[in-house]
Amino acid sequence: SQAAQAAEDGIRVLSAEKRIDLTGPIVKVFLTLKVQNTATGADASHVLIAFTPAEADHLAIVKATRAEGKRKKKTYIPLPVSPADPATAAPNGARLYSISLPTPLKPTDTTTVEVFYVLTHSLEPFPAEITQSESQLVYYRDSAVLLSPYHVQEQGTYVKTPSSRVESFTRVDPTSRSGPDVKYGAYGNQLPYAYSPIILHYENNHAFAVVEELVRKVEISHWGNVQVTEHYKLKHGGAKHKGVFSRLEYQARQSISGASSFKNLLARLPPRVHSVYYRDEIGNISSSHLRSDSYKSELEIEPRYPLFGGWHCTFTIGYGMPLQDFLFESADGRRFANLTFGCPLLNTVVDNLTIKVVLPEGSKSPQAVVPFETEQHLETSYSYLDVVGRTTVVIKKKNVVGEHNVPFQVYYEFSPIFMLAEPLMLVTAVLLFFAACIVYLHTDLSIAKSQASS
Amino acid sequence: MDINVLAFLVPAGIISCFLPLSDASSFMVLYLVTAVYFSGVMVRLMLVLAPAACILSGIALSSAFDVLTRSMKFQLSKLFDDGPAISGNGSPNGSSASTVNTSSSKNEKTEKSEAAPKEKQSKKNRRKDKEVTESVSVKPKKEKRLSVLPLEASIVSTLLLIALGGFYVVHCVWAAAEAYSAPSIVLTSRSREGLHVFDDFREAYAWLSHNTDVDDKVASWWDYGYQTTAMANRTVIVDNNTWNNTHIATVGTAMSSPEKAAWEIFDSLDVKYVLVVFGGLVGYPSDDINKFLWMVRIGGGEFPHIKEPDYLRDGQYRVDAQATPTMLNCLMYKLCYYRFVETDGKGFDRVRGYEIGKKHFKLTHFEEVFTTHHWMVRIYKLKPQKNRIRGKLKKLKSSSKTSSTLAAGRKKNPWQ
Repeated sequence: SQAAQAAEDGIRVLSAEKRIDLTGPIVKVFLTLKVQNTATGADASHVLIAFTPAEADHLAIVKATRAEGKRKKKTYIPLPVSPADPATAAPNGARLYSISLPTPLKPTDTTTVEVFYVLTHSLEPFPAEITQSESQLVYYRDSAVLLSPYHVQEQGTYVKTPSSRVESFTRVDPTSRSGPDVKYGAYGNQLPYAYSPIILHYENNHAFAVVEELVRKVEISHWGNVQVTEHYKLKHGGAKHKGVFSRLEYQARQSISGASSFKNLLARLPPRVHSVYYRDEIGNISSSHLRSDSYKSELEIEPRYPLFGGWHCTFTIGYGMPLQDFLFESADGRRFANLTFGCPLLNTVVDNLTIKVVLPEGSKSPQAVVPFETEQHLETSYSYLDVVGRTTVVIKKKNVVGEHNVPFQVYYEFSPIFMLAEPLMLVTAVLLFFAACIVYLHTDLSIAKSQASS
Repeated sequence: MDINVLAFLVPAGIISCFLPLSDASSFMVLYLVTAVYFSGVMVRLMLVLAPAACILSGIALSSAFDVLTRSMKFQLSKLFDDGPAISGNGSPNGSSASTVNTSSSKNEKTEKSEAAPKEKQSKKNRRKDKEVTESVSVKPKKEKRLSVLPLEASIVSTLLLIALGGFYVVHCVWAAAEAYSAPSIVLTSRSREGLHVFDDFREAYAWLSHNTDVDDKVASWWDYGYQTTAMANRTVIVDNNTWNNTHIATVGTAMSSPEKAAWEIFDSLDVKYVLVVFGGLVGYPSDDINKFLWMVRIGGGEFPHIKEPDYLRDGQYRVDAQATPTMLNCLMYKLCYYRFVETDGKGFDRVRGYEIGKKHFKLTHFEEVFTTHHWMVRIYKLKPQKNRIRGKLKKLKSSSKTSSTLAAGRKKNPWQ
């Protein structure tokens, strides 16, 4: 831990509490910071938080909120978080994110900020290959003291593991462990950018479902249907399976055998979906269940075989939704489609997500409004009875988790006359055919004159 | 496979073909007789019988409808035009020519006499008086006496024939849905909870497609060759189109040999995975143990060290306690029944209907990599050869190991 230059805005962290949830395949961290502006004369408008380069690469989402109001009337206001200006120097490549406070913090004032962030692919399976009857153990690397650009007066870190089997953990006194919880606390008076690496080696048999690639195509048809087609490439991202797979052991001794494997996944779909299908390249997969109620539908899918470490499978899920649930008119006369970003499968990480929103033919000036950073571009796709092609908005994002499943909007302009384009095309085609038949039947194409012609 | 109603319409059609016998109708009769002979030899050739049967039944029905509609037309015209006049005139004519008429009308009747409800009608009709119509003047040389039936009989017979055709259509649709629509790669069975689906084949091919390397070769019996190529996208050793008998015999020999010899054959073919189909847990009868006799026969036809009597006990292929030791040691037995006894404790094979002979054994040269949900497809991987050091030379750490392996004896070549 080096004594870096003192933070310019003079903020001190009075107390920091970091709660790390290691129960699933994704690491969720809840950080509560009580900060005080010790500078004289200057108001602090933002608070910085720091991540190591490894953490910053695997960071899926960072959210910050601040509590307002007293005990019973507490409301949480979301605060915008963005990567800090790269000019602010941080030692050893640490990356800084800045949380903007809604009202600047006056000198000697304190405030409490709650930060939530998700790290993906941060649990390393060790041993890297396991047999069918072994449990999966993973490494989690972090720091006992909070990496922060400010002085931290008092702090504690609480780690929660899924089971009470914790093989080993680095001791940085005072450290205590009770069952599945490990507490690194309380440390006092740490300098900025203090870092004390720890490794936790524990058992995690939660399903490590990783969607390597997901392509979601949403086709909007003004005739009343929104059709969604999703192509998945799924993988088990935990410790690789080695050796024998014995179906007998898997079926007979279910508690020991294949503890870290999974055989079904749950997808949350909007209510009122119809025509749901689940198939792969070979054909239909019949092992799925759909349960709907008035505010959601749940599709439970079982791939053809249970997934052990390192095994892949691919499949396609498709469904249709009524248009009136998703298409609205905005205040300035444009239409917009309100869709959900992200992947409907629960508790999965998507490495590469591509969403293609295919707008009806004749749509102009499409614009996608997504609450976080994505790559967007436009394409043209061709479908039935298309002349000019349909404008498609392609949105790409990497490292998507469940917290990204928020609504996003795609705005476009559409004049209603274009709805008549397809029916008119069909009507004209049939009309021309009939006219041609009439003409053919009434013309005389014979070369020699016959008595019947007049 | 059945032709249902056509079974009695076809003989009637043959008779119709002879009245009169033309080139076309004689061709139909010859075609039918040949098709019946071949269908009798091999039941799958009923495919050839089907068009012939349909055409002849059509001819029979056509003649029957011809008579019936002609009767109805004549009777109705008589009812509306002349009334009682002709019935008086017709009776002396009818009585003199009645013998001729009864014989020719009997011919017309036999075409539909087999249908039970109509038999009563036809017997009644024979006792009634018949009218003789004036013959049609189209063919002046042949004076054909066309018979006419009473009106009620004709109407009822027509309706019954139409009903017969309707039932036949319903039967055909049912047969197509139940018997001919089975995809034979997805099996279903009806249980109390509804339809139970056995999708094991597609499960195994999907697993092979996603969890093995692109260049891995899969050895199985030839029935599954095309399926493996299409769905699993892997190279196979023999498939449905292999005409080279030696290739198939090599795979058959490997399946019939003990583990070590089989491993060597597969290793020389650069095979990584071996796939067998086993129906003993769920009762699927078309599995590899039932096809095993062909593996032995074809393998034995090419490689003389595979002798079929080695696998037979009293002329039968058995896998229970009375099976021959060669059978209990061959690769197919071991791969199918590996750890099968642990499912129910006794190893009862539901297809063969008895407990297996050798229950507890280990595999030395293969390891199980995948078995499907109902144990129908089992995939094994060839174990790599162990580095072996002979006992005496273990103490010498510095001496060259290459010379020891060379001196350890040549691998036995199964083909020499």
